[in-house]
Amino acid sequence: MKGSMFLMKGLCVPAMLVLGACGCKSDVVAPEPVQPAPAAAPALGDVFYDFDQASLRMDAAEQLNQNAAWMRDKSSKRVVIEGHCDERGTSEYNMALGERRAATAKEYLVNLGVEPERMTTVSYGEERPFAAGSNEEAWALNRRAHFVEE
Amino acid sequence: MRYCKELFPGVFLILSLLLFPGQVQANGDEYIAIRKEGSGKIALVLSKPVASGAKESGWSERLDAETRSGLDFTGLFSLIPPPLNVAGPRGASSQAINFGALNSVGAEFYAGGAVVRKSGNVLLSMEVYDTLGGRPILRKTYTGKESDLRSISHAFCADLVELLTGRQSVFGSKLVFVSNRSGFKEIYMCDYDGHGMRQMTNSRSLALTPVLSPNGNYLAYTEYASGRPRLSIIDLAGGKRSSVARSGNSIDPGWRSNAEVATTLSFQGDQEIYLVRPDGTLARRVTNSRGIDLSPSFSPDGNKMAFVSSRTAVPQIFILDLQTGQTNRLTYNGNYNTQPSWSPQGDKIAYSSMEKNGEINIFTINTDGSSLRQLTSGTRQNESPSWSPGGDMIVFTSSRQGQKKLFVMNAAGGGQKRLLQMEGEQMQPSWSLKVK
Repeated sequence: MKGSMFLMKGLCVPAMLVLGACGCKSDVVAPEPVQPAPAAAPALGDVFYDFDQASLRMDAAEQLNQNAAWMRDKSSKRVVIEGHCDERGTSEYNMALGERRAATAKEYLVNLGVEPERMTTVSYGEERPFAAGSNEEAWALNRRAHFVEE
Repeated sequence: MRYCKELFPGVFLILSLLLFPGQVQANGDEYIAIRKEGSGKIALVLSKPVASGAKESGWSERLDAETRSGLDFTGLFSLIPPPLNVAGPRGASSQAINFGALNSVGAEFYAGGAVVRKSGNVLLSMEVYDTLGGRPILRKTYTGKESDLRSISHAFCADLVELLTGRQSVFGSKLVFVSNRSGFKEIYMCDYDGHGMRQMTNSRSLALTPVLSPNGNYLAYTEYASGRPRLSIIDLAGGKRSSVARSGNSIDPGWRSNAEVATTLSFQGDQEIYLVRPDGTLARRVTNSRGIDLSPSFSPDGNKMAFVSSRTAVPQIFILDLQTGQTNRLTYNGNYNTQPSWSPQGDKIAYSSMEKNGEINIFTINTDGSSLRQLTSGTRQNESPSWSPGGDMIVFTSSRQGQKKLFVMNAAGGGQKRLLQMEGEQMQPSWSLKVK
C-alpha cells in the first residue's frame, strides 16, 4: 500500500513537469488535495528465515504481529501459510523444511490468539521461488512463509 | 513373448545348475566367480544371427543392433568385431566355430545364433561359448512377434548378463522420474534406456518423488492437485488412484514391499514416517522423534529402513531396525546428508551430501558405516541416487550441464553418462526392479 502510493507520486511529478515544460496546456489543473493518510491498516506480509532454519528470526515478530492484527480485524477470513525454501540443498528435505517454516509462523499466530482452524499450512519446498538467481539476495527472499488470503 | 528352453546334452547337463528358476540353465558358478566387481570388461564377440530371406535378414539386423546397444548400456562388455573366419557358412554350431580365431582377437566369449520365421513369428536361437574351452555356456531359443524384436533381444541380453555376473540385469526394468517438460512437474516412466517414454500424470500442479512398487504394479508419488502435497498411489494395471485422506503434507514415499509404502505425514503435528497400504489406508507409524523424519528406503527384506532425520540438528541418515525398534546413525561425514537409497543386494546405501560451497555429491557407504566412497565430484549438483536392479549401476540427477538431467554411472562412480535426450529438466529418478 505504502509502496504503491510512493510509486504514484513518483510517476505523477515528472509527468506534470513534462506537461508544464511543453507549454501546450496553459491552464494546468491543480491536483486533487491529498487526503490525510488513515492510520495504517494492518496488512498481511511474509516472514523470512535463515538457511536450513525453521525457527523465527527476531525481525519476523513485527510482521507476524501485523498478520495477527489483520486476522483479528477480518475475523471471517482464512489464510494459507505457504512455506518456501531457497534452491540449495535437496528438494525432499526442503519440502520438509518449508512445512516447518509455515508451522512456526502459524504457531506464533496461535499464541497471539488467532484460531488455528483459520490457518492451513502447505509446503512448496524449493518448487516456487519468488526471486530468480543463484545468489544470497535471491535465496534470502525465497526462504519465507508466504501468507495468502483464502 | 514365450521362451523355449533347449537342454544341454550329456555330461554338461550334470555340470549345469539352475541359476534363475525358469530362465537359464548353465554352469554358472565358474562365471560368477571370475566376474568380481572391479574386474575388467568382458571381451565378447557377438555375431549377427544367421538368416535366410529378406524378412529374416531385416530381423537379424535389428536383433543385432538391439543386442549390441543393450549390452553396451550395461558397461560390462567390450564388444569385439567378429573375425571374418569365425564361423562356417552354416552358422553357429560348435563344430563350425573357429575358436582359434576368437582367441587370437582376445575374445573370452562368443555369442551367435540364427533367426527364422515360424508361424509368422520370430524365432531366435542363441548360443554362447566360452572361447578358451570352446564349451557352450548358454543355449536358448526366444520367440515373439515381429513387433517384439527389442524385447526378444533384451531377453537374450538379460540371460547373458545374469549368467556372467550372477546379478539381475537392467533389461525389463523401468525408470520413473519427474520432468517439467510440459510446463508443470509431472511423472514420466520409460525403459531403463529411455525407450517407450510415457507421461504418467497430468496434475497440472506439481507431481514429485515417484517410485514403483517392487513388482511394478503400483506407482506412488506426491501430488499437489488438491492444493497440498498428498501421497498418491496408482494401480498401473487398473488405473485406480488412491490417496491418503489425512490432513497435513505428505513427502517422498518409499516401498517396503508390494503391500506397504512408507512416507512422511504431518497430520499428527510433527513430521513422522508412516506405513501406508496401496489403498491409501494407514498401517502404522514407524518413527517417533521431534523434527524432520524423511525419505524412507528399505533393505531388500523390508526389516530395516534408512531415512533422513534432523534429530541431530542437521540432516543425517539413520537406520531403523523395524523388528527391534532400534535406530542408529549411519552418516558422520558432512553436515547435510539426504536421499538414502538402499542397494538391491542389501549391502550398501547411496546418498547425497551437500558441501559448504553448495556442491552436492553422491556417496555410497556400507550399512555398518564402513567403506565410505565418493562417486561424483566437481560437477555441481549430483543428487537423487537410485540403484539398478542388479546394484551395479546408479541413476542420478546432475546439473553439470546447467539444467538438471538424468545420468547413470557404475556403482564405483565410473562411466558417468547422460541418459535421456528430453526437453526441460529431469529429476528424482527411481529405478525399478524388473517389471513383469
